[in-house]
Amino acid sequence: MKRIPWDILLALLAGLGLGLVYSWVISPTRIIDSEPLALRAGFKDDYRSAIAAAYAGTGNLARAQSRLALLGDPDPIEALNAQAQRMLASGEFQQADHMVALASALESGTTANTQPSPLTQIVSVASGISTATLPPIQTDIPFLFTETPQLIQTQPVIIESTPRPTRTPVPTLGAPFALTGQETTCDTNLPDGLLQVLVLNSNRRQLAGVEIRITWDAGEEQFFTGLKPELGNGYADFMMSSNTTYSVQLGLGSDVASGLTAPVCQTPSGDTFTGGIKLTFQQPD
Amino acid sequence: MKSNRLILIMTALIAGIAVGLTYGWVIDPVDFFDLTPDTLRADYKADYVLMVAEAFRFNPDPGLAARQLAIFGSQSPSAIAASGLEYARTNGFDDSDIALMQELVTALQAWSGLP
Repeated sequence: MKRIPWDILLALLAGLGLGLVYSWVISPTRIIDSEPLALRAGFKDDYRSAIAAAYAGTGNLARAQSRLALLGDPDPIEALNAQAQRMLASGEFQQADHMVALASALESGTTANTQPSPLTQIVSVASGISTATLPPIQTDIPFLFTETPQLIQTQPVIIESTPRPTRTPVPTLGAPFALTGQETTCDTNLPDGLLQVLVLNSNRRQLAGVEIRITWDAGEEQFFTGLKPELGNGYADFMMSSNTTYSVQLGLGSDVASGLTAPVCQTPSGDTFTGGIKLTFQQPD
Repeated sequence: MKSNRLILIMTALIAGIAVGLTYGWVIDPVDFFDLTPDTLRADYKADYVLMVAEAFRFNPDPGLAARQLAIFGSQSPSAIAASGLEYARTNGFDDSDIALMQELVTALQAWSGLP
């Protein structure tokens, strides 16, 4: 019986390990020629904003649709509306108007009379390419835009007739939020004194753009949900100071979470640190 | 005999490294997400410049256009726009689109004082 050459097998495995460490960790594939789909969320927002601004300039809905498809949003209309609300909250009113105008145009289904954009062809071709495999630049697929510049002259009509979005869930008057959850968070990975607020509608869907008012002895502040979309459209947070008592309310008539102070937590090793609080507000059915 | 064994071990080690590199770089490379716009393919970059140009036609604010183009990072906005224009010219973009991009490039060059 032949002896198994363990030393050779071991060397082979060691080599394999070294090769994988080098190719995955030390020198991974350099990324060029990526697609908008792979962009960081903030840059996707920039891209979406540019699409909406371009649509405001041209009124070319087919082209805007093709471009939005590149971002791979599950629901582009909802993505536009959510971003519009975040922009409104941060005072970017004109850009928010562009987003809303595009969302409304998409929602009203005015695409039936438009020609499919040539960009769609590029999307379908490009979608089969992995961003991590360094696809060659597809110089053989030129953009073949055929739209005429006359569309530019129609822009004022489109902008002036901007309807408000209807699909984005927004809190309605007469449906005050109820405080459905209040818990202390003792997580050393979170910043000290972090007050997290989660706002949901009656279907437990997160709501962006909801104003939250926080008051304490020496002052008050407003902030909005949806400004950190990576943490959820209905998420907002605030840094509490130690030894200060806060009250949180979402709007007139909503429940008030009062007497909130940053808790003192303990690590397993006995050290103390300032914890946080997580509040959940929900619209009743 | 012993040196032959050593050669075999070294050969196995090198073969393992080669297989590992092939697997990690070609067969299953690292998946990248959260990329920055400067990694976008040239046609997407050019289309982004076109978007900015289309918006610029509607709202001729070179400062705003420059901020929109700044997501590409290191180059000046006018250079980014010029790169997009160059790509459009060499890749069969529609004349009206090229004209829009040219208009943007000219405005940005005037705005930034660059030739």
